[in-house]
Formats: sequence, C-alpha cells, structure tokens
Amino acid sequence: MINNPIGVLALSKREVVRFLSVASQTIFPPLMASVLFMYIFGVAIGARIDFSSTGLSYLGFIVPGLMTMHLISSSYENTTSSLFIARWHNHIQEVLLSPLSYFEMVLGLLAGGVARGVIVCLGVYGVSLFFTPLPIQHPFLLAFFIFTIAVIFSCGGMMGALWAEDFGMLSLWSIYIIIPLVMMGGVFHPMAILPEVIRGISRFNPLHYLINGMRYSITGFSDSSILICAFISLVLALGTFFATVYMFRVGYKLRT
Amino acid sequence: MRDSERAISIKNLTKYYSKLQALDNISLEIKRGDFFAFLGPNGAGKTTTINVLTGLSNFQRGEVKAFGYNTVSEYTRTRRLIGLCAQEFNFDPFLTIHQLLAYQAGYFGIPPKEASQRTDELLKRFQLIEKRNVKHRALSGGMKKRLLICRALIHDPEILILDEPTAGCDLELKFLIWDYLTQLNNEGKTIFLTTHYMEEAEKLCKTIGIINHGRIVRIGDKQEVLRDKSLEAVFLEVTGQE
Repeated sequence: MINNPIGVLALSKREVVRFLSVASQTIFPPLMASVLFMYIFGVAIGARIDFSSTGLSYLGFIVPGLMTMHLISSSYENTTSSLFIARWHNHIQEVLLSPLSYFEMVLGLLAGGVARGVIVCLGVYGVSLFFTPLPIQHPFLLAFFIFTIAVIFSCGGMMGALWAEDFGMLSLWSIYIIIPLVMMGGVFHPMAILPEVIRGISRFNPLHYLINGMRYSITGFSDSSILICAFISLVLALGTFFATVYMFRVGYKLRT
Repeated sequence: MRDSERAISIKNLTKYYSKLQALDNISLEIKRGDFFAFLGPNGAGKTTTINVLTGLSNFQRGEVKAFGYNTVSEYTRTRRLIGLCAQEFNFDPFLTIHQLLAYQAGYFGIPPKEASQRTDELLKRFQLIEKRNVKHRALSGGMKKRLLICRALIHDPEILILDEPTAGCDLELKFLIWDYLTQLNNEGKTIFLTTHYMEEAEKLCKTIGIINHGRIVRIGDKQEVLRDKSLEAVFLEVTGQE
C-alpha cells in the first residue's frame, strides 16, 4: 500500500517540523490551559465536590477528559490549518504533482496531526502529575485510544479544510460541533449526575465513548462498556481515514 | 506499457468547467525530445490542457498518456515523468528555498542526502545558491521564476511543462531562461511550453500547436505551420484575430 516510503516520510517530516517550529503557538497553550483547568476546577472547586461514587477524586476524573479534549483540538487544528493554508496559497500543488498516491498523501498529512495530538495529550498527563498522582491502569489500551482519537480528528481536520472556502467556514465545525460534543461528552462530569433525558441523548454522542475509553485506560473507571468505546473509536478512525482518502482521490476542492 | 517514442499523447480530450466547455475533443501527440510550443489567446484552453496533463484537473472524456502511461489510472508513474513550472508563484511561505526544494525531492522518493545535494546543484545552476536559506518572499520576481523552474526539475523529469515561463521577465532573464531551456532540450528533455510571445515560440520550438476556444486549430512542425509566414501572422489568421 505504501510504494513511496521516502515521499511519505518527507511529507510527514514537513508536517511535524511545521508545528514544532511554532511550539509556542501549538504545544504550550493547551498545556497552559490544562494547568488552569486543573487548578481551578480540580484543586479549588473539585476539593469541595463529593466524587466518592466513582472511586476517584474530581481532579483524577477530569484529567483523562482534559487529555482527550486537547488531543482532539490539537489533532484537528493541525491538519485543518496546514491543509487549508496549503489550499489558500495553492502550494498544495507541490503534493498533488508528486508521485505520492492519495493514500500516501493522507498518511503524510495525518502524521503532523497525530504527532501534535500525542505530544499535547502526553504533555497534559505530565502536567497533571504535579497536581495528583495518576498511575495508568491500561497503557496499551491508552495508546490505542490516543492513536485512534488522533486519527479521527486529524482526518476530520482535513475534511474540514477541504470543505471550507474561507477562514470563517474553517472554524464552524470546531465551534458548533466539536466543542459542544466534547463538553457534553463527559470531560467534566460523569453520566450519573445528568438528568435522565440528557443521559439518554448523551448515549448518541460518539465523543462520550472516546472520552470514556481514555478515562478507563487511565483510571479503570468508565460510564460505558470499554468494548463499545474501543469499537466506536476504531470504526470512526477507519471511517474518517478512508473518507479522507476518497476525497483526495476524487479531488474534492483540490482539482478543478 | 512504456511508449518510448511518444512523450505525450492526448486523444479526444473534453473538459467542462460546470457548463462551460474548456476543451473540445482535442488530440495531440508530442514526440520524445521535442520542444513543443502551445499557443493560444487568453482563455483558449492552454492552462487547462496543462492541468489535465499534470493531474491538477479532472476531465470528462478522452485519454491522456505520458510515455504510454495513463495519467489517471497510472498517475504515480506519470507524475514522476512530468515536471511543471506553473504560472503563479505557489510556494510554501514557511519554508526556505532549500527546504522547499529538498522536501519536493523527498516527495519524489529521493533520499534526504541526495535531495539536499541535488537542491544545491540546481540552486547553483540557476544562480540562487546564495539565497538558499531565505524564504521565497525575499526573492525578486526573476528569482522566483527561476525557483519555479528549479522545483519543476528537482526530480529530473523527462517532460518539462512550462506555463508562460517568461511572462513579465526582463530581457536578460528571458534570454537566460531561453538558454536554460535550449540546454535542457539538448540534454534530451521533452519540453511543452505555453507562451504569448511569438518570437519565443519561433526561436525555441520544433513543433507548434495553436488552440482557440478549446479546439486545436493548427498543429505541426514549425516549418509546416509557418509556410513562409511569420508565426504572428499564422496565429492571427487561425485565431481569427486578423
């Protein structure tokens, strides 16, 4: 499936170097935001919340949620900005004229989103250790969820970048769909405290399963079956990946 | 299967932009080692033909091949064979010109060490080596033109397509580019050139095609097309601009 490994590596390298060269805008802001969330919600307010039913402290509960939230936003923003700017300046032609297959093009562009998401996610976990010890219960499962979630939102970012015609459209998905779904997916609260109607609706929120998969991997606590969480995560990763490859193959807003 | 004689082969190509027909059943063949000038008024279909050839445009009907390989079903092969020097300066603004060319070489499967070496060779050849660590915005218009040619040549393609490479160039740069192109053609590269400068086509090219309203209205060897007339006269005659 990969006939041009050097080409894929070159594109991957360009994508990774691009976000690392502006780490002050791509890596540190989510870490800073996490510190504030952990201090205000976890330490200042969380100490007053009774979370004994989950077997976790409130801080311990929100850390996997924050890791997921920043994993999602970092992966999404990376591919969105990279691909949209490449379309805007038309230097996407550098890639389109190359002998990379469409599968390989997506793989190369994906690398930046996945790498940035993973670095930020692990950074948030690292920062959390200053606030509370949080040993990882299922490291391989955690690696699976981090990778699949990064793939889902990196591909989502590419789809958004292809769809958008201007910078305004670029942020629509993030503001009106991703952030509400993340917030309602259980970053800051367990399902049990929601009214029954909202709880029922939340079962249809795919991000609920991604957040719970991450939470189970780290703490061993989850609102939903871990098998269902893993299945949804895998199906979404494969689905978004092949949908993105398809968009490249038909040249959706890439070819005239 | 590779066709070592015909560098470019286009059969019955038709292309629409929505309801607007840009190319109307065009066919042409360009031999290996040829220097082909593709002329036509603005909006005639020159750039569209180039975009179809390089895979930047979809098309509705017809068949396009480079050295016998289909540009749609065998695109990973044909893209290795073609280098495009586009009309616009579409460079990644975040990269230095050395990085830009080295990454481009990488996409073509050239290992990093060789890519860096080849980049420096091209930058030297096109007198850009002193600018290797600056971004393209710091280059003059002429330097950017040369950088476009470097990028098109980075993977040593057998076919070089140039879309108005000398548009807006001063005389010195124009002559410099002409020399480069003649040299490249003498080295065996097939060149496909679009231009609005008749003297350029007349001086450099071996075969000439003229397109108007998406149809090829004249094509053949230079002598055959000219028939003791100037290219400008032939152009005006066949495009109805007399």
